[in-house]
Amino acid sequence: MDALVQAIEGGTINTWILSSYWLWPALEIIHFIGLSLLLGAMLIVDLRLAGFLRQIDIMAIHRLLPLATLGFLLNLVTGTLFFIGDPARYSVNIGFQLKMILVFIAGLNALWFILKINPRVASWDAHGDTPMEAKVVAALSLIAWFGVLLLGRLIPYIGTG
Amino acid sequence: MFEALENSTAAIWVGESLWGYPLLLGLHVVGLAIVAGIFIMLDLRILGLNKGVAYESFLSLFPLAWIGLAINAMSGTALFSSQATTFISNTPFLFKIGSITVGIICAVLIRGRLRLSAASWDAPGAGASGATRLMAVVSLFSWIGAIAAGRLIAYL
Repeated sequence: MDALVQAIEGGTINTWILSSYWLWPALEIIHFIGLSLLLGAMLIVDLRLAGFLRQIDIMAIHRLLPLATLGFLLNLVTGTLFFIGDPARYSVNIGFQLKMILVFIAGLNALWFILKINPRVASWDAHGDTPMEAKVVAALSLIAWFGVLLLGRLIPYIGTG
Repeated sequence: MFEALENSTAAIWVGESLWGYPLLLGLHVVGLAIVAGIFIMLDLRILGLNKGVAYESFLSLFPLAWIGLAINAMSGTALFSSQATTFISNTPFLFKIGSITVGIICAVLIRGRLRLSAASWDAPGAGASGATRLMAVVSLFSWIGAIAAGRLIAYL
Protein backbone atom coordinates (compact mmCIF):
# COMPACT_ATOMS: atom_id res chain seq x y z
CA MET A 1 0.00 0.00 0.00
CA ASP A 2 2.81 2.42 0.93
CA ALA A 3 4.40 1.93 -2.47
CA LEU A 4 1.08 2.68 -4.16
CA VAL A 5 0.61 5.83 -2.10
CA GLN A 6 4.14 6.98 -2.93
CA ALA A 7 3.62 6.29 -6.62
CA ILE A 8 0.47 8.40 -6.68
CA GLU A 9 1.47 11.33 -4.48
CA GLY A 10 3.09 14.15 -6.43
CA GLY A 11 1.96 12.63 -9.74
CA THR A 12 0.20 14.59 -12.48
CA ILE A 13 -3.39 13.70 -11.53
CA ASN A 14 -2.73 13.99 -7.79
CA THR A 15 -1.28 17.48 -8.29
CA TRP A 16 -4.14 18.49 -10.60
CA ILE A 17 -6.82 17.41 -8.11
CA LEU A 18 -5.17 19.24 -5.24
CA SER A 19 -4.47 22.37 -7.33
CA SER A 20 -8.05 23.64 -7.29
CA TYR A 21 -10.22 24.34 -4.25
CA TRP A 22 -13.41 23.78 -6.30
CA LEU A 23 -12.50 20.53 -8.05
CA TRP A 24 -13.05 18.35 -4.96
CA PRO A 25 -16.59 19.61 -4.17
CA ALA A 26 -17.43 19.44 -7.91
CA LEU A 27 -16.37 15.76 -7.92
CA GLU A 28 -18.40 15.19 -4.74
CA ILE A 29 -21.51 16.64 -6.41
CA ILE A 30 -21.05 14.29 -9.40
CA HIS A 31 -20.46 11.39 -6.98
CA PHE A 32 -23.78 12.13 -5.22
CA ILE A 33 -25.69 12.48 -8.51
CA GLY A 34 -24.13 9.17 -9.59
CA LEU A 35 -25.25 7.43 -6.40
CA SER A 36 -28.79 8.78 -6.88
CA LEU A 37 -28.90 7.31 -10.41
CA LEU A 38 -27.41 3.98 -9.30
CA LEU A 39 -29.54 3.57 -6.17
CA GLY A 40 -32.71 4.94 -7.80
CA ALA A 41 -32.46 2.49 -10.70
CA MET A 42 -31.38 -0.46 -8.53
CA LEU A 43 -34.18 0.18 -6.03
CA ILE A 44 -36.81 -0.26 -8.76
CA VAL A 45 -35.00 -3.19 -10.45
CA ASP A 46 -34.46 -5.03 -7.16
CA LEU A 47 -37.99 -4.44 -5.87
CA ARG A 48 -39.35 -5.93 -9.12
CA LEU A 49 -36.87 -8.83 -8.94
CA ALA A 50 -38.03 -9.43 -5.37
CA GLY A 51 -41.60 -9.80 -6.63
CA PHE A 52 -42.95 -6.31 -5.82
CA LEU A 53 -44.12 -3.62 -8.31
CA ARG A 54 -45.79 -6.22 -10.55
CA GLN A 55 -47.27 -3.45 -12.70
CA ILE A 56 -43.80 -3.40 -14.27
CA ASP A 57 -43.28 -5.94 -17.07
CA ILE A 58 -40.29 -7.96 -15.79
CA MET A 59 -38.48 -7.39 -19.10
CA ALA A 60 -38.65 -3.60 -18.55
CA ILE A 61 -36.05 -3.84 -15.77
CA HIS A 62 -33.51 -3.96 -18.59
CA ARG A 63 -34.45 -0.37 -19.48
CA LEU A 64 -33.24 0.78 -16.06
CA LEU A 65 -29.88 -0.97 -16.14
CA PRO A 66 -28.19 1.61 -18.44
CA LEU A 67 -28.98 4.35 -15.88
CA ALA A 68 -27.63 2.20 -13.06
CA THR A 69 -24.48 1.55 -15.14
CA LEU A 70 -24.11 5.28 -15.88
CA GLY A 71 -24.40 6.07 -12.16
CA PHE A 72 -21.84 3.38 -11.33
CA LEU A 73 -19.37 4.63 -13.98
CA LEU A 74 -19.71 8.25 -12.81
CA ASN A 75 -18.88 7.07 -9.30
CA LEU A 76 -16.08 4.78 -10.40
CA VAL A 77 -14.38 7.73 -12.16
CA THR A 78 -15.00 10.32 -9.43
CA GLY A 79 -14.21 7.77 -6.70
CA THR A 80 -10.90 6.87 -8.37
CA LEU A 81 -10.06 10.58 -8.54
CA PHE A 82 -10.79 10.95 -4.79
CA PHE A 83 -8.41 8.08 -4.11
CA ILE A 84 -5.69 9.55 -6.33
CA GLY A 85 -6.23 12.95 -4.71
CA ASP A 86 -5.67 11.66 -1.18
CA PRO A 87 -4.26 8.09 -1.30
CA ALA A 88 -2.61 8.17 2.12
CA ARG A 89 -5.98 8.85 3.80
CA TYR A 90 -8.16 6.40 1.84
CA SER A 91 -5.80 3.41 1.65
CA VAL A 92 -5.63 2.95 5.43
CA ASN A 93 -9.25 3.93 6.18
CA ILE A 94 -11.33 1.01 7.46
CA GLY A 95 -14.58 2.59 6.25
CA PHE A 96 -13.13 2.86 2.74
CA GLN A 97 -11.76 -0.72 2.80
CA LEU A 98 -15.10 -2.16 3.93
CA LYS A 99 -16.90 -0.05 1.31
CA MET A 100 -14.68 -1.48 -1.46
CA ILE A 101 -15.33 -5.03 -0.21
CA LEU A 102 -19.07 -4.36 -0.37
CA VAL A 103 -18.77 -2.86 -3.89
CA PHE A 104 -16.94 -6.06 -4.88
CA ILE A 105 -19.70 -8.22 -3.36
CA ALA A 106 -22.34 -6.12 -5.17
CA GLY A 107 -20.36 -6.69 -8.38
CA LEU A 108 -20.24 -10.48 -7.88
CA ASN A 109 -23.96 -10.41 -7.14
CA ALA A 110 -24.59 -8.47 -10.37
CA LEU A 111 -22.48 -11.01 -12.25
CA TRP A 112 -24.57 -13.84 -10.78
CA PHE A 113 -27.69 -12.03 -11.99
CA ILE A 114 -26.30 -11.47 -15.50
CA LEU A 115 -24.97 -15.02 -15.97
CA LYS A 116 -27.43 -17.19 -14.05
CA ILE A 117 -30.72 -15.35 -13.69
CA ASN A 118 -31.08 -12.88 -16.54
CA PRO A 119 -31.08 -15.54 -19.30
CA ARG A 120 -34.26 -17.02 -17.75
CA VAL A 121 -36.16 -13.76 -17.09
CA ALA A 122 -37.96 -13.91 -20.44
CA SER A 123 -39.60 -17.20 -19.45
CA TRP A 124 -41.16 -15.76 -16.25
CA ASP A 125 -44.71 -14.45 -15.99
CA ALA A 126 -44.27 -10.81 -17.13
CA HIS A 127 -46.38 -9.41 -14.30
CA GLY A 128 -46.10 -12.25 -11.81
CA ASP A 129 -44.03 -13.39 -8.85
CA THR A 130 -40.31 -14.15 -9.18
CA PRO A 131 -38.26 -17.26 -8.23
CA MET A 132 -36.58 -17.43 -4.81
CA GLU A 133 -33.13 -17.13 -6.43
CA ALA A 134 -34.12 -13.75 -7.90
CA LYS A 135 -35.39 -12.55 -4.52
CA VAL A 136 -32.08 -13.48 -2.89
CA VAL A 137 -30.09 -11.59 -5.55
CA ALA A 138 -32.38 -8.56 -5.13
CA ALA A 139 -32.06 -8.54 -1.35
CA LEU A 140 -28.28 -8.94 -1.51
CA SER A 141 -28.06 -6.11 -4.03
CA LEU A 142 -30.08 -3.68 -1.89
CA ILE A 143 -28.20 -4.59 1.30
CA ALA A 144 -24.82 -4.24 -0.45
CA TRP A 145 -25.58 -0.89 -2.15
CA PHE A 146 -27.15 0.73 0.90
CA GLY A 147 -24.21 -0.56 2.92
CA VAL A 148 -21.84 1.04 0.41
CA LEU A 149 -23.75 4.30 0.87
CA LEU A 150 -23.53 4.22 4.67
CA LEU A 151 -19.85 3.25 4.75
CA GLY A 152 -18.99 5.90 2.16
CA ARG A 153 -20.56 8.57 4.31
CA LEU A 154 -18.71 7.31 7.38
CA ILE A 155 -15.22 7.39 5.79
CA PRO A 156 -14.36 10.78 7.33
CA TYR A 157 -15.37 9.51 10.79
CA ILE A 158 -14.10 5.93 10.87
CA GLY A 159 -10.51 5.73 11.99
CA THR A 160 -7.46 4.31 10.34
CA GLY A 161 -6.37 0.71 10.78
CA MET B 1 -34.49 31.30 18.46
CA PHE B 2 -31.79 29.41 16.52
CA GLU B 3 -29.38 29.99 19.39
CA ALA B 4 -31.85 28.39 21.80
CA LEU B 5 -32.24 25.43 19.41
CA GLU B 6 -28.49 25.04 19.16
CA ASN B 7 -28.20 24.98 22.96
CA SER B 8 -30.96 22.37 23.45
CA THR B 9 -29.98 19.01 24.94
CA ALA B 10 -30.73 17.15 21.70
CA ALA B 11 -28.67 19.56 19.58
CA ILE B 12 -25.72 19.32 21.95
CA TRP B 13 -25.91 15.51 21.80
CA VAL B 14 -25.79 15.64 17.99
CA GLY B 15 -22.78 17.92 18.03
CA GLU B 16 -20.79 16.33 20.83
CA SER B 17 -21.52 12.60 20.94
CA LEU B 18 -19.04 10.41 19.11
CA TRP B 19 -21.57 8.72 16.81
CA GLY B 20 -24.50 11.15 16.69
CA TYR B 21 -23.36 13.32 13.79
CA PRO B 22 -21.88 10.59 11.51
CA LEU B 23 -24.88 8.32 12.08
CA LEU B 24 -27.28 11.12 11.13
CA LEU B 25 -25.17 11.87 8.03
CA GLY B 26 -25.38 8.18 7.13
CA LEU B 27 -29.17 8.21 7.49
CA HIS B 28 -29.29 11.43 5.48
CA VAL B 29 -27.54 9.88 2.45
CA VAL B 30 -29.74 6.76 2.65
CA GLY B 31 -32.85 8.98 2.64
CA LEU B 32 -31.37 11.03 -0.21
CA ALA B 33 -30.82 7.95 -2.36
CA ILE B 34 -34.42 6.82 -1.78
CA VAL B 35 -36.22 10.13 -2.35
CA ALA B 36 -33.99 11.68 -5.04
CA GLY B 37 -33.40 8.26 -6.63
CA ILE B 38 -37.10 7.53 -7.06
CA PHE B 39 -38.06 11.03 -8.20
CA ILE B 40 -35.16 11.28 -10.68
CA MET B 41 -36.20 7.90 -12.14
CA LEU B 42 -39.80 9.16 -12.43
CA ASP B 43 -38.69 12.45 -14.04
CA LEU B 44 -36.53 10.59 -16.56
CA ARG B 45 -39.43 8.19 -17.28
CA ILE B 46 -41.70 11.17 -18.04
CA LEU B 47 -38.97 12.67 -20.26
CA GLY B 48 -38.76 9.51 -22.36
CA LEU B 49 -36.10 7.32 -20.76
CA ASN B 50 -36.91 4.06 -18.94
CA LYS B 51 -39.68 3.33 -21.47
CA GLY B 52 -41.68 0.29 -20.49
CA VAL B 53 -41.36 0.93 -16.74
CA ALA B 54 -45.08 1.27 -16.00
CA TYR B 55 -46.20 4.69 -14.76
CA GLU B 56 -48.56 2.89 -12.41
CA SER B 57 -45.60 1.36 -10.59
CA PHE B 58 -44.46 4.85 -9.58
CA LEU B 59 -47.73 5.34 -7.69
CA SER B 60 -46.64 2.34 -5.60
CA LEU B 61 -43.19 3.90 -5.15
CA PHE B 62 -44.50 7.22 -3.82
CA PRO B 63 -44.99 5.94 -0.22
CA LEU B 64 -41.36 4.75 -0.23
CA ALA B 65 -40.22 8.15 -1.55
CA TRP B 66 -42.15 9.87 1.27
CA ILE B 67 -40.43 7.57 3.79
CA GLY B 68 -37.08 8.67 2.33
CA LEU B 69 -38.19 12.29 2.62
CA ALA B 70 -39.30 11.76 6.23
CA ILE B 71 -35.92 10.15 7.11
CA ASN B 72 -34.20 13.21 5.70
CA ALA B 73 -36.54 15.75 7.28
CA MET B 74 -35.79 14.19 10.68
CA SER B 75 -32.06 13.57 10.22
CA GLY B 76 -31.76 16.99 8.52
CA THR B 77 -33.51 18.77 11.39
CA ALA B 78 -31.23 17.06 13.90
CA LEU B 79 -28.11 17.95 11.89
CA PHE B 80 -29.38 21.52 11.50
CA SER B 81 -30.02 21.89 15.23
CA SER B 82 -26.38 21.27 16.12
CA GLN B 83 -25.23 24.30 14.09
CA ALA B 84 -28.49 26.20 13.67
CA THR B 85 -27.04 29.72 13.83
CA THR B 86 -24.39 28.88 11.19
CA PHE B 87 -26.73 27.03 8.81
CA ILE B 88 -29.50 29.63 8.87
CA SER B 89 -27.20 32.23 7.28
CA ASN B 90 -25.48 29.79 4.90
CA THR B 91 -26.44 30.50 1.25
CA PRO B 92 -26.12 26.90 -0.07
CA PHE B 93 -28.24 25.66 2.86
CA LEU B 94 -31.01 28.16 2.10
CA PHE B 95 -30.82 27.30 -1.62
CA LYS B 96 -31.04 23.61 -0.71
CA ILE B 97 -34.19 24.13 1.37
CA GLY B 98 -35.72 26.18 -1.48
CA SER B 99 -34.85 23.48 -4.03
CA ILE B 100 -36.34 20.72 -1.87
CA THR B 101 -39.54 22.75 -1.48
CA VAL B 102 -39.83 23.12 -5.27
CA GLY B 103 -39.07 19.40 -5.68
CA ILE B 104 -41.80 18.40 -3.20
CA ILE B 105 -44.35 20.69 -4.92
CA CYS B 106 -43.45 19.11 -8.29
CA ALA B 107 -43.75 15.61 -6.81
CA VAL B 108 -47.22 16.33 -5.41
CA LEU B 109 -48.37 17.86 -8.73
CA ILE B 110 -46.92 14.99 -10.78
CA ARG B 111 -48.51 12.44 -8.43
CA GLY B 112 -51.91 14.07 -8.99
CA ARG B 113 -51.46 13.75 -12.74
CA LEU B 114 -50.24 10.15 -12.40
CA ARG B 115 -53.34 9.19 -10.42
CA LEU B 116 -55.54 10.56 -13.18
CA SER B 117 -53.58 9.46 -16.23
CA ALA B 118 -51.02 6.74 -15.44
CA ALA B 119 -53.06 4.04 -17.17
CA SER B 120 -53.52 6.09 -20.36
CA TRP B 121 -49.84 7.16 -20.44
CA ASP B 122 -48.88 3.47 -20.24
CA ALA B 123 -50.88 2.71 -23.40
CA PRO B 124 -48.73 1.96 -26.50
CA GLY B 125 -47.68 5.14 -28.33
CA ALA B 126 -49.02 7.38 -25.55
CA GLY B 127 -47.03 9.51 -23.11
CA ALA B 128 -47.13 12.30 -20.55
CA SER B 129 -48.43 15.74 -21.58
CA GLY B 130 -46.22 18.79 -22.25
CA ALA B 131 -47.13 20.36 -18.89
CA THR B 132 -46.15 17.17 -17.05
CA ARG B 133 -42.86 17.07 -18.96
CA LEU B 134 -42.16 20.65 -17.86
CA MET B 135 -42.83 19.65 -14.23
CA ALA B 136 -40.44 16.72 -14.65
CA VAL B 137 -37.70 19.07 -15.90
CA VAL B 138 -38.22 21.44 -12.95
CA SER B 139 -38.29 18.47 -10.57
CA LEU B 140 -35.07 17.02 -12.02
CA PHE B 141 -33.26 20.35 -11.62
CA SER B 142 -34.60 20.84 -8.10
CA TRP B 143 -33.34 17.46 -6.81
CA ILE B 144 -29.96 17.82 -8.52
CA GLY B 145 -29.81 21.41 -7.25
CA ALA B 146 -30.59 20.27 -3.71
CA ILE B 147 -27.86 17.60 -3.88
CA ALA B 148 -25.30 20.07 -5.24
CA ALA B 149 -26.19 22.78 -2.72
CA GLY B 150 -26.08 20.24 0.12
CA ARG B 151 -22.52 19.31 -0.79
CA LEU B 152 -21.50 22.98 -1.03
CA ILE B 153 -22.69 23.78 2.52
CA ALA B 154 -19.34 22.52 3.79
CA TYR B 155 -17.33 24.61 1.30
CA LEU B 156 -18.98 28.05 1.18
